[in-house]
This record gives sequence, structure tokens and C-alpha cells, in this order.
Amino acid sequence: MSLLIAEVELRIALARKRLLVLNMLVPLLLVVPVVLGAAPAFHASAVYAVLFMLFGTFGSAIPLVRDAEMGLVGRILQTGIRPGGFLVQRAAAGCTVDAVQLLPALAVATFGSLSLGGFLTTFVIMWASLWIANLLGNIVAGMARSLAETALFAAVTALFMLHFSGVFRTPMPGTFWGIVEAASPFRILHETLLGMSVGASVEGASALIVWAVVLPVLTLVVARPIATSLKAATRQ
Amino acid sequence: MTGQAEASGASEGSPVAPLITATGVSFQYGSAQPALSGVDLEVASGEIVALLGPNGAGKSTLLQLLLGELVPTAGSVSSWVGSEARVGGVGYAGEETAHFDALTGLQNARFFARASGLPRGDAALAVTGLLKAFGLAAEADKAVSAYSFGMKRKLLLTEALAHAPRLLLLDEPTTGLDAASRDALEEILRDRCRQGAGVVLSSHDLAFLDGLADRIVILHEGAVVGAGRPADLLESLGTATRFEILLEHDLPELPEYFGEGVTLVDEGEPLVFEAARGQAALPDLCAALVSGGASISGVSVREPGLPELFRRLTGQEFSR
Repeated sequence: MSLLIAEVELRIALARKRLLVLNMLVPLLLVVPVVLGAAPAFHASAVYAVLFMLFGTFGSAIPLVRDAEMGLVGRILQTGIRPGGFLVQRAAAGCTVDAVQLLPALAVATFGSLSLGGFLTTFVIMWASLWIANLLGNIVAGMARSLAETALFAAVTALFMLHFSGVFRTPMPGTFWGIVEAASPFRILHETLLGMSVGASVEGASALIVWAVVLPVLTLVVARPIATSLKAATRQ
Repeated sequence: MTGQAEASGASEGSPVAPLITATGVSFQYGSAQPALSGVDLEVASGEIVALLGPNGAGKSTLLQLLLGELVPTAGSVSSWVGSEARVGGVGYAGEETAHFDALTGLQNARFFARASGLPRGDAALAVTGLLKAFGLAAEADKAVSAYSFGMKRKLLLTEALAHAPRLLLLDEPTTGLDAASRDALEEILRDRCRQGAGVVLSSHDLAFLDGLADRIVILHEGAVVGAGRPADLLESLGTATRFEILLEHDLPELPEYFGEGVTLVDEGEPLVFEAARGQAALPDLCAALVSGGASISGVSVREPGLPELFRRLTGQEFSR
């Protein structure tokens, strides 16, 4: 299978050096005051989780719709590249670039709290969560009719998923919302970020794995209507 | 010629199977007026078909239907590979000049060549040759964000041609091109046709089409109003030059003689005269009218040619 789309996305990220640096600095600007301000662990971990996941959904949805409006998505798909492969490869490259850009912020957020092994595990969890966030971003991009709608849909989707994952409140175990939380993809990221401060147990790995496998399959299933919607977004 | 006229025939009597055939194709955008109505078109291997028509005639819509990007609301389009695989087997250059702006022209061209199925090595080779032909080789390593419109158009054509598609669909391919690039494109298209490709292009550049197009299809308000070989179409116009003369006031009686070989063909407004090809008869014609008491407010000369053919078939002036 050709990885042409992922390759070109990585090339673009490397070519846009200014943007690459800015995308490393901006998360740092948000994380550093939280670290230095000695925010309570529950609040700090919520801030980190929200920042990282919004980075993923916005970072995939908005460039995708922008490229569609320019006619670039239509041109790429006219070559015969399949919509499913296009979207999945774009998400794969996107989450990798996001993870690299968020690495300094993650390092600052976890500084002094984790061993090297713990840090690497957290990085892998963040990368996997970004994979899901990028795929969600691609799907919402297919529902939007403008960049403004895309930003709105990406924000709402990410925030709801974070809410279901227990980032903003902890549901009672055994309740409906407790079950939803256990099945939510970003729970493990939040709990990992929370656990490094308060030593709480970390759960949710299986939900993350299931989402990481199921969501690309779902993307492949809905890729054609997403592609049709994106091509229709081309400015006439 | 009716609105349903069939726009095929380059391969009349030829056993060559068409690369692509549109049969009774109609298309409508939403609830708007139909963009195309009952268009038939056949394109054979080795043939260049030019689509002519005023803005909004349906040329770009027809190209999109041939490409497979639009689905006809009536009729059908079939190609040598069926409907699904056609997308990748066609070289298409439309109005969009969207590229990966952060990447260089060379990287863009290689990407599209590989995406269209060429292996990495072949893509590099094909792209390098085309960039050189279009005079873009020296700028190939610059980011596309620094390209002018003309350079982006050249790059677009490079991307459409690199994978040597069997069918080329080109929408206004000479837009933004300099003279040298137009010549290069003409040479490349002739060469591709010799190798068996078919070309459908829409253009307002009659100088470019002159001698290049094997067949011309004239569209007007979504229907084919004329189709055939350029020579046959021009012959249908006759060889006479038309003079259209506007008078400031109607004459109670027109002179009987307008000069040697000049015939009055329409007494309306303007007066329309025909004479042997050329403008030699015009001074005598004007003199005859003036001596008959006419005051001339305007004269237009219409030589037989594609612009005149276009005007007669569509009722609109041809303008670039």
C-alpha cells in the first residue's frame, strides 16, 4: 500500500518551519503558567487534556476543509487515490506531527513527576489519543460547510468526548455516565496526566485501543460521503 | 443543426473504438436551468476535440461529466475502462490551480505523478521533461507559494500530462501561458495523440485551436449547436465576406448597385452585404450608399472563420 499521502503531509509539516516552531511554542505558553502556578492536579490535568485534544481535532479538521475549499482535495482524489486511504493517512501523519509539536509541552507538564519510562508511556498514550482526535477531526470536517462550522464542530466534538471521558467531572462508578466514561477514548490520557501528580490508578487502556482500531475502520466506511462533501466545498 | 446534434464523427467510418462516449447526457445543478441537455460526444484514440461556447454554455460541466466527477441526470458516459476506474486514468487540468503551496513545484509534480500511478523513478523522469518543456525547470525547486498564476498553470499541465494518460481533459489549458509554453503544449498534445491518446479541451484561444483540433463542438445554452471538422464547418459558412452597415437614418429607397460582386442579403438594421472574400469591395459599397443619400454611422466586417461561425451558431460575439 502506498503511503504517499502520509509522506506528503510530513514533508509539508517539515517545510512549514515557522508554523512548526509556533505550534511548539503556543502549547508551551499555555502549559508553563499552569505548571508554575501550582494549579490543583485535577484542574491541571484537565487543562492539558483539553489542550492536547483540541490540538488534534482542530489541527486535522481545519486544514482539511481549507484544502477542500482551495480545490486541492478534489484534485488529489481525481488522481484515483481512494478517499478512505486519503483520510486515514492524513490522520496518521497529522497525529505524528501533533505529537512532536506537543512534546515540549508534555515534557514541561510532566517534568519531575515521571520516570523516563513513565514519560514515554504518557507520550505513546498522547500519540494514540491524537490519532483518535485527528480521525474525529476528519469526520467532522465532512459535516461542515465552512471553516467557521468546522471550528465549531471540532470544538464541540472534542469537548463532548473529553466530558464523556471524565475530564470535567468524575461520574459515580456503575452509573450510566460511569459506563460511558469507561468506554471513552480520552479517559486514559486524562487519568495518566492526573495520576502523575496524585498517584491515582490509571484505567481506560482498552477503550483507547478499541477506539484506535474502530475509528479508522469507521472512517473507511464513511470516507466516500466525506469526500463528496469536501469536494462540494470547493470555492467556485 | 439541432440542439441535440451529435458531436461525433472524427472517426467516421473508422473501426477505432472510442475512448469515451457521452450519450444523451444532461445535467442540472440543483433546481437551476439545465447546464447540459442531450449532448452526444464521442472521442477516439488519437483525436483532439475542442469545445467552444460562450461562458455558461456547459463546457466545463461536460468535462466534469467526462471525468466522472459529475453524474449525468440523464444519459450516460462510458469509457474504455468503465466508470469507476476512469478517474485515475485521465489527465485533467481544470480551472483550479490548487497545489501544496509549501512544497516546491518539483515535489508537487512528482506527488501528482505518483498519485496517478507512476513509480517513483518514472515520475521523476516524466516530470523533469515536462517542466523543461514548459520552461519551468529553473523554478522547479522554488516553493509553489512563490509562483505566479502562469507558473501554477504550467505546473498544473505538467501534473495532468506526467502519467501519460490515455484521455486528456483540459479546461482552458492556454490560460496564463506565454507563447513558448503554448507552442510546447501544442507539440506535446500532438505527440500524445500520435501515441494514441485522446484529448478534449475547452478553449477561447482560437489561434491555439487553429490547425490543432481535429473536431470542434460548439455548445450554446447546454446544447450542441454545431459539430464537425473545422474545415467542414468553415465551408458551411461559404467564402463570402459580410459587411454590416449601420445608417443614421433609413433611406426611402436603397440604391440598386453597390459595387461589383456586392449583394444585399439583409435589408434590416444593419444592412448586410456579401462580397468576395476580402475588403476590396468596401470602398465602392460605402460610396454607393453615400451617393444614394445614406449617412453611415458604423461598419463591421465579418470574414469567414471560427469567430464568425461561433457568432452565427450562438448569436453571440466571440470574445476571449
